[in-house]
Parts: sequence; structure tokens; C-alpha cells
Amino acid sequence: MADFEETLYDAVAQKFRIDKLYFENKTDHQHLMIFHNAALGRVMTLDGIVQTTEADEFVYHEMMAHVPLVAHGAPQHVLIIGGGDGGMLREVAKHAVESITQVEIDAAVVEMAKTYLPNHSAGAYDDPRLQLVIDDGFAFVRDDTRHYDVIIVDSTDPIGPGEVLFSEDFYAHAKTRLAPGGVVVTQNGVPFFQPDEVTTTHRRLARHFADATFYCAPVPTYYGGFMTFGWATDATELRGLAPAIIRDRVERAELNTRYYNADMHGAAFALPQYVRAAMQGE
Amino acid sequence: MTQRHVTIGAPAETAAHYEDLVNRHGSPLLVYDPAVVRQRYAELQRALPGVSLYYAVKALPSAHVIRTIDALGGGFDIASGGETELLLREDVFGRRTIHTHPIKKDAEIRSALRYGATTFVVDNDYELTKFVPYRSRVGILLRVSFRASGAAVDLSRKFGCAFDELPGLLDRAAALGIHVKGLSFHVGSQCADAAKHVEAIEQCAALMQARAETDPTPMSVLDIGGGFPAAYHRTGLDLEAWCAPVRAALGRVPDDWQCIAEPGRVLVAPAVTCVTTVVGTSRRDGVRWYYLDDGVYGSFSGQLFDHAVYPLQVLREGPVEPSILAGPTCDSIDIVAEQIALPELEPGDLVIGHEMGAYTAATRTRFNLLPDAQFISLEPA
Ligand SMILES: Cc1ncc(COP(=O)(O)O)c(C=O)c1O
Repeated sequence: MADFEETLYDAVAQKFRIDKLYFENKTDHQHLMIFHNAALGRVMTLDGIVQTTEADEFVYHEMMAHVPLVAHGAPQHVLIIGGGDGGMLREVAKHAVESITQVEIDAAVVEMAKTYLPNHSAGAYDDPRLQLVIDDGFAFVRDDTRHYDVIIVDSTDPIGPGEVLFSEDFYAHAKTRLAPGGVVVTQNGVPFFQPDEVTTTHRRLARHFADATFYCAPVPTYYGGFMTFGWATDATELRGLAPAIIRDRVERAELNTRYYNADMHGAAFALPQYVRAAMQGE
Repeated sequence: MTQRHVTIGAPAETAAHYEDLVNRHGSPLLVYDPAVVRQRYAELQRALPGVSLYYAVKALPSAHVIRTIDALGGGFDIASGGETELLLREDVFGRRTIHTHPIKKDAEIRSALRYGATTFVVDNDYELTKFVPYRSRVGILLRVSFRASGAAVDLSRKFGCAFDELPGLLDRAAALGIHVKGLSFHVGSQCADAAKHVEAIEQCAALMQARAETDPTPMSVLDIGGGFPAAYHRTGLDLEAWCAPVRAALGRVPDDWQCIAEPGRVLVAPAVTCVTTVVGTSRRDGVRWYYLDDGVYGSFSGQLFDHAVYPLQVLREGPVEPSILAGPTCDSIDIVAEQIALPELEPGDLVIGHEMGAYTAATRTRFNLLPDAQFISLEPA
């Protein structure tokens, strides 16, 4: 069968063998594929870029969900923007929260993910705490009136349809949706190849939040080493919790994870020097 | 004005072929023969070994042609969002395309990137700055102006920086953190000979090599554009001979460079034949007028926009007299051919236009809301 070659960069590219094509859609000026690869399981790509694979999605979803939820300590209301594949919802649902609101722009993505990436949501779309809203994430945070303890922005890359989710206006609106002590986390790319994303996001977040930084995890198929997650909150103490507190919370939550644990939680906030330099726009 | 080649009469078999097509599909027609593209592609590849060919989609943005080039393993030169959409629909992988329009809207850059094109052409400072947000993703070619005086279509007045602007643009790109991976030029379309290509190759190669001595990221791509001619005079086209000086010049550039070309016209012009029908006739001031069902607002638009003079053929034979072939619109500029000597034609007779693949259907208009000539392929899709 054919290969999928990523088109993210001109000078380098990773290539995946397509062992079986499950789904392809080329409407709405975008190109979505879900296929099987022997090493990675099911792989979803959008516009030439890997979005998620069954083999390594756990790193991404666990780190993006558990780090803010555990750091918060007592989250009741969680907002997920994007995340149509259901992996984020699955991880958030492991916590004893009261409500989960997920805003996905395209109902078809959810249906497609349930059918072709069933292991991502693993039944979480049936969770009674979930309110699934089909809407533009930007419009939702602008118009909604409720408050959330944790907001998770699980977007596509900024050149794709998720562009507005990287805008300063979006971050400003998101801030108004946070309950006191709340935190926003965002998907922020691979800084080894895309340092500009760190520079830009940091500048925008820092204008609105007392603590604006990043934490890291290496997601193998997001080629290029660490990826960064934006971390934005006015509760400056959330970032530097004592290891014992984190350990205690993680144990009590019984999360059953493959990447995330109390040690990784603390360590993820240690930033390589090149990421720090990018934050300063150097 | 270039003399038009006119053929009077046709072998019975040829006439029957066109008449059969019109009986089956109606008139007017643009008849596409993929075998001709395959042959031209092979000839060009033989004449320019080691050069990667990127078909200039603008010449004939047809799904049929895309499929033919795709099957040959060719690349594609795209210049707009519409061309990008066409390639996406035809399942052409983005990495096999280069985006060559020097001036782009931000939305076009983004849609090309989403499609998977990462090579872009730039020819000025302002355009460079548009790529700052995408600098981690793209490889840029700087377009330089070299103008072939013998080209039928000038492409170096509107686009391309002056050669002596290159060092400044290269420094500027480096300061902006944008990777320039090579140079490109387009000396003009329908070039009489390759002299300008050779001059451009030599100057660009010398500059690329000189910069490689000092620049931390050497340039390695040399894009020689298009310009390869079509045989509008029907005297045959010796591509091998036409390309020989280009081949020799490219033979002197380093082996590890990637040389690419953007042929449009040469690949598709001979692959499409236009079939029109005489709809009415009259005699004005002693001259025969024939009114066809296709004209310069339609498939013959290249006579205005592309300065082409297509070879024509009538199937009937007989004593000739001065005649005018007019197109179907109500405008008087819509004249396909003046002062040509033709035998007396009758309504229903076919008039054939040859070498009509490049910049013909591509530039037709909607004037009078006349239907487009139907595009049919001689091979099943
Ligand atoms: C940038 C570019 N590349 C390639 C071509 C194709 O040229 P030709 O049809 O002469 O091969 C053109 C024609 O306009 C062009 O503008």
C-alpha cells in the first residue's frame, strides 16, 4: 500500500506505511485520513499532519488532562475545547468531577472517531457527566456564562482550522470563563522545530495570566522531541506544589496511567534551555 | 504577425474520426489525447536527464491531464488555491507540488501549506515577510528576472527580482530566519531558443556557488521554469536539439543540486485538438465569412491572451478564396482567423484547431453565456 509522508516541514519529513485505509474525507478544503500502521495502530492525519495514533496518544492525553486536574486539587467543572477524537474526554472522565463540557466544532468528527478510533473515547461519550456542544470553540468561550476549574484546549495546529484557538482574544475570553483558582492548558506544538509558537503563545498568555508558562512531554509521533503544553493561570501556586501533595492526590485518584505519574507531573515543568529561550523570544 | 498554418483537406480516415466524435459528443469539442502528453513528457525527460519535471497546471487545469502526469510520476507547479483544490481532489500528494506564484495572499499560503506544498516562490522583500509566520515549515525559491527577447509571452516584466537584488534579498531572508533553498526564473513562454535559459542557469549557478562559500545554509535547488515551445508552425519540434544547450549548462552545476523545470505548454499543447462547426456563412465586401461555434472568448482565447496562432484545418477540398473565420459571440473582436484562403465551406462543416492544449480552455470566458467546448479524452478515465 501507499505511504503517508508528513508535510509539516520542507526540509525533513516522517513517513508511515499505510497498512489499511479505514477512512478518508476531502470535503471542506481539508484532507482527513484514518489508517492502520503496524507499529502505531490506528493513525489519524489532517492536512498532511499526524493528529493522533493509538500507540502514543496516551502520552498526550494523560499529560494534558491529569497535570491541570491534579494540580487544581478539587476540580468540579471541566471544559474541553476540541478533542473530537475523545481521548481527552476519556482521561478527564477518570477524575471525580461534577461536569464535563466538550465543545467540538464538527459533529461529524465525533461520529467518525467513535466509529474508526473507538479506543480513544473508550465509551466516554456515554458518560452522564458529559455535555457535548457542537459549536465553534472561540464563540463558545466568548458567549458562555459558566465558569470552569480547568479548560483544556485540544486544538489542531495553528495553520489548520484551529487558528483562532491560538489568538490572544481567545485566551482573553478563556480567562473570563475560569473559576477562581482555575487553569487553562493548550496544545502548543514541538518547539525544536517550531520555536515561534512558544514565543507567540507565551507573549499572548503573559498579557492575561499571572503565571504563563509551558510544560513538556515527548509524544513520539509529534516528531522533534518534546512537545509543549501552554499553562496559564492566576493561581501561581499551582505550578510548584510540593511533591508529597501531588503524590498523595495521584494515589487517591487511581488514574491507571501509562505515562503520567507524580514524578512526571513535577518534572514536566522543567524546561530545556531552548524552550526558555523561545519563551523570551530569543 | 505570425503566419498561420492552414491545412486544406484531410485523409478520409482523419475526417471520419472527427465527424464521428462530433456525432457522438456534439460540437464544439476539445479532444484530449493522453498518449501525446506521455510522449512529450518522455521526450523532455530524455532531453533533460536528472531534471525533475513539475507540470505547470495553469496551462491546462484539467483532471484528465493531472491524472496523466500523475501516472508518469511527475510533479506539479501550482499558482492558486483553485489549482491546489484540483490536485487535492485528484489525490496528488502535496509534497509533489511547488507553489510558484510570486505574489500570494496569506490565505493562499495557508491553504497551500495545509494541502502539503512547502516550496514557495518569492521575488521581493514584502513577500518574504509574509513567510515569517511559516518560516519553520517552508523552503523558498527566489525568482530572478531574465527576459528572452524571442519569447512569445513575457514573464519577466511582471515578476522576478533584478539579478543584482539577489544578495540583498538573501541577506534579508537570513535575517528573517527564512530558508532560501534555491533560485528560479522563467524567461518567457514559447521561447524561440534556449539561449536565455543558458545565460540564466550560468548566472544563477555562479551566484549559488559563491554564496555557498559563505552562507551557513547553502542553496541547492535550481528551477529553470518553463518556456519550452509548441510547434504552432507544424514543422515538428526537435526537443532534443532545443534542450541541448540547457542540458550542457546543467551538466556544469554540482551533482548534488536538485534541478527542476516547470513545463506547461510543451507537454499539453499538442495533446488537445479543437473541433468546431460552421454554424452560418455570409459574404461581406466580397469576402466569405464563416461563423463557428467556438471562438476567441472560448477555446481560442489564447489567440488574445497567449499571442498564439493555432494551426487550422478544414476537411473539405476545392478552389480557395479569401475567407474569415468568426467566433460565436456578438462581439466583433471575436475573429478566429482573417485573410485565410479556404475552399467554400458549408454549414455543418468542421474546422479543426491543432496544438490547442495550452492556455486555451484555461483562459476562456463566460461571455454571452455560451457553453464551453466539451472536453473529451481519447482514453477512458
Ligand atoms: C511560474 C511559471 N511556471 C511555468 C509556466 C509554464 O510555462 P510554459 O507553458 O512556457 O512551459 C508559467 C507560465 O506562465 C509560469 O508563469
